[in-house]
Amino acid sequence: MFDLSGTVSKVVFGLTLALIGLFLFFPLYWLVISSVKSNAELYSIVPTPFPTHPTMTHFVTALTTGKLPMYLFNSLIASGSSAALNTLLALYAGYSFAKYRFAGRQPAMLFMLSAQMFPFGLLLISIYPLMSEAGLLDTRPGLILSYIVFALPVSTYMLYSYFSQVPDELIEAARADGASDLRIFHTIVIPISIPPIVTVFLYSFMWSWNDLLYSMTLIVSDHKRTIGPGLLLTYLNEVNSDWGGAMAASLLASAPIVAAFLFLQRYFIQGVTAGAVK
Amino acid sequence: MAKLELHQVRKSFGNVDVLKGIDLAVDDGEFAAFVGPSGCGKSTLLRLICGLDEISSGQMIIDGQVVNDVPPAKRGIAMVFQSYALYPHMTVSDNMGYALRLAGTPREEIRRRVEAAARVLRIAEYVDRKPRQLSGGQRQRVAIGRAIVREPKIFLFDEPLSNLDAALRVEMRIEIARMKERLGTTMIYVTHDQIEAMTLADKIVVLNAGKVEQIGSPLDLYNTPANRFVAGFIGSPRMNFLIVQGHRLDGGRVRVPGGSVSLNTSPPEAAHEIGVRPEHLELCAPGTSNALDGRVAMTEHLGSDTYAYVALDGTDEMIVVRLDGERPISQGERVGVLVNPDAVHVFSTDGRTLVSAKPMARNAA
Ligand SMILES: Nc1ncnc2c1ncn2[C@@H]1O[C@H](COP(=O)(O)OP(=O)(O)OP(=O)(O)O)[C@@H](O)[C@H]1O
Ligand SMILES: [Mg+2]
Repeated sequence: MFDLSGTVSKVVFGLTLALIGLFLFFPLYWLVISSVKSNAELYSIVPTPFPTHPTMTHFVTALTTGKLPMYLFNSLIASGSSAALNTLLALYAGYSFAKYRFAGRQPAMLFMLSAQMFPFGLLLISIYPLMSEAGLLDTRPGLILSYIVFALPVSTYMLYSYFSQVPDELIEAARADGASDLRIFHTIVIPISIPPIVTVFLYSFMWSWNDLLYSMTLIVSDHKRTIGPGLLLTYLNEVNSDWGGAMAASLLASAPIVAAFLFLQRYFIQGVTAGAVK
Repeated sequence: MAKLELHQVRKSFGNVDVLKGIDLAVDDGEFAAFVGPSGCGKSTLLRLICGLDEISSGQMIIDGQVVNDVPPAKRGIAMVFQSYALYPHMTVSDNMGYALRLAGTPREEIRRRVEAAARVLRIAEYVDRKPRQLSGGQRQRVAIGRAIVREPKIFLFDEPLSNLDAALRVEMRIEIARMKERLGTTMIYVTHDQIEAMTLADKIVVLNAGKVEQIGSPLDLYNTPANRFVAGFIGSPRMNFLIVQGHRLDGGRVRVPGGSVSLNTSPPEAAHEIGVRPEHLELCAPGTSNALDGRVAMTEHLGSDTYAYVALDGTDEMIVVRLDGERPISQGERVGVLVNPDAVHVFSTDGRTLVSAKPMARNAA
């Protein structure tokens, strides 16, 4: 691809990389160090690049005094169930689009994907009266469903593309072995599709975990509030000055996603179908 | 015990007719090979027999019972796919036992049958591996093992060896021949490889463009092809064809490019083309009477045999002559080609065989 043998190109390449790295990671770095600085250090006139006296007080306060644990729990419920439900639906929808030929398959898929073309804020305008009509405003099921509206098309499409690549002969071999369609899907196709399924789950989990707009609009009771609006309402207002707490809380809020990625990354290995055909 | 019969089986995809009325019978314990050019419908026919696709019309009968609407697993048929189609997430033994587990066979019996098959196929030491940890040949054995453990009435193979290298192919071919001896089950085998078909099959079915061209034993097809297509398809290198030019001569001879050829009967009125296999031709000195004259355009030395491509005088047609491997021959050499009259096939304009060669017509001269 690129010839990196010359000194000049090496330097240019290294510098560019460093610049991009700085741009990407500096905010994260600042978040991390600020969360462990004492208030005195945080509010010193000259910012310190390294915390002089690292302290965990902000984390302790965030977790014990505020409503952060409750918000985290609410988010876990909302994101977990919407991701699970979304993945489940996308599995069956994606598989039927990929491996069955039925009338209206193509239009149905285009129609579904077209939902993707609207900005999600716009969808909210139609979701709101719908939820209101159905009595689902300010309820967890309402929020969970509205998350699915946005995540399902992409998820279905992702799984559809993967399932299309599952060799037909594999499915036919199972059919000849006497497996029913559902049995084939459950015992052959799903087990070899763990990586894309995990990816789709994470995608939809992240999408709802990071959401601010939907939760802010559809949920009004504080005890059902998720982490996004929770953080915003707790720390970003005129009276607040707890920057250390905000940093610590933000870190805590992103922890589940990071943890999920670390834990599930072993599923992102390639070549799961290796050895099936050829 | 399984006899398979097809009566006027047709298959269309949309408005494309792929199989145009297949009549066929495969007897119990018989090994039938389907051969034919790419796209002629071999795989399609096999899939119909397996039950993976529904036939558009006609009848499919196994042991006297019409199975048109019987699902694959209930037909007592096992299919070995060209691409193996092993379940990648299952171990070898789970792959082989999958059908039995679905059928509710007792665990102990599954284990016994899988072990027996693995032993026979010499994959016993790999039964706990996943397919990706196996070589191509081992995977192919697992695919065959998966079929064997089901103890089917009929085995179907769709080009099972085409993904293997030459040496492994020969080995697996012998393996399949032994399996046929041992099991005595009805087998149907699709192949592109003439040698596989000729050596394994009791019966060869030559398909072309969705129709059966001829059914017969390997030697039948080789010696008495029913038409020009079969004559050209069976045998390697393929049969030489020469257009009959102008009028027939007296004394059972026809004029062709490069000279004239004797037949052992008087040439039929409709004779349009003659065919002679490379192994039934001899080189002789140019100008020999009753021989065709030409020039050696190219030679292929295969060790045991040498093939000489001779451009016949007065045309740009080339005919292939098989020679002894040791025979020295150089390009550009002028030669005569002697045709054994007993070995000449005569075809009509529409490709039917008018005169067949005498069996075992190999030129003794
Ligand atoms: N599902 C399908 N839809 C439409 N046409 C099909 C379908 N399956 C096969 N065909 C057509 O049927 C014809 C026969 O296909 P088939 O796979 O049986 O050929 P084949 O003899 O096995 O060829 P090969 O030797 O290349 O494997 C081909 O022209 C193919 O394009
Ligand atoms: Mg084929």
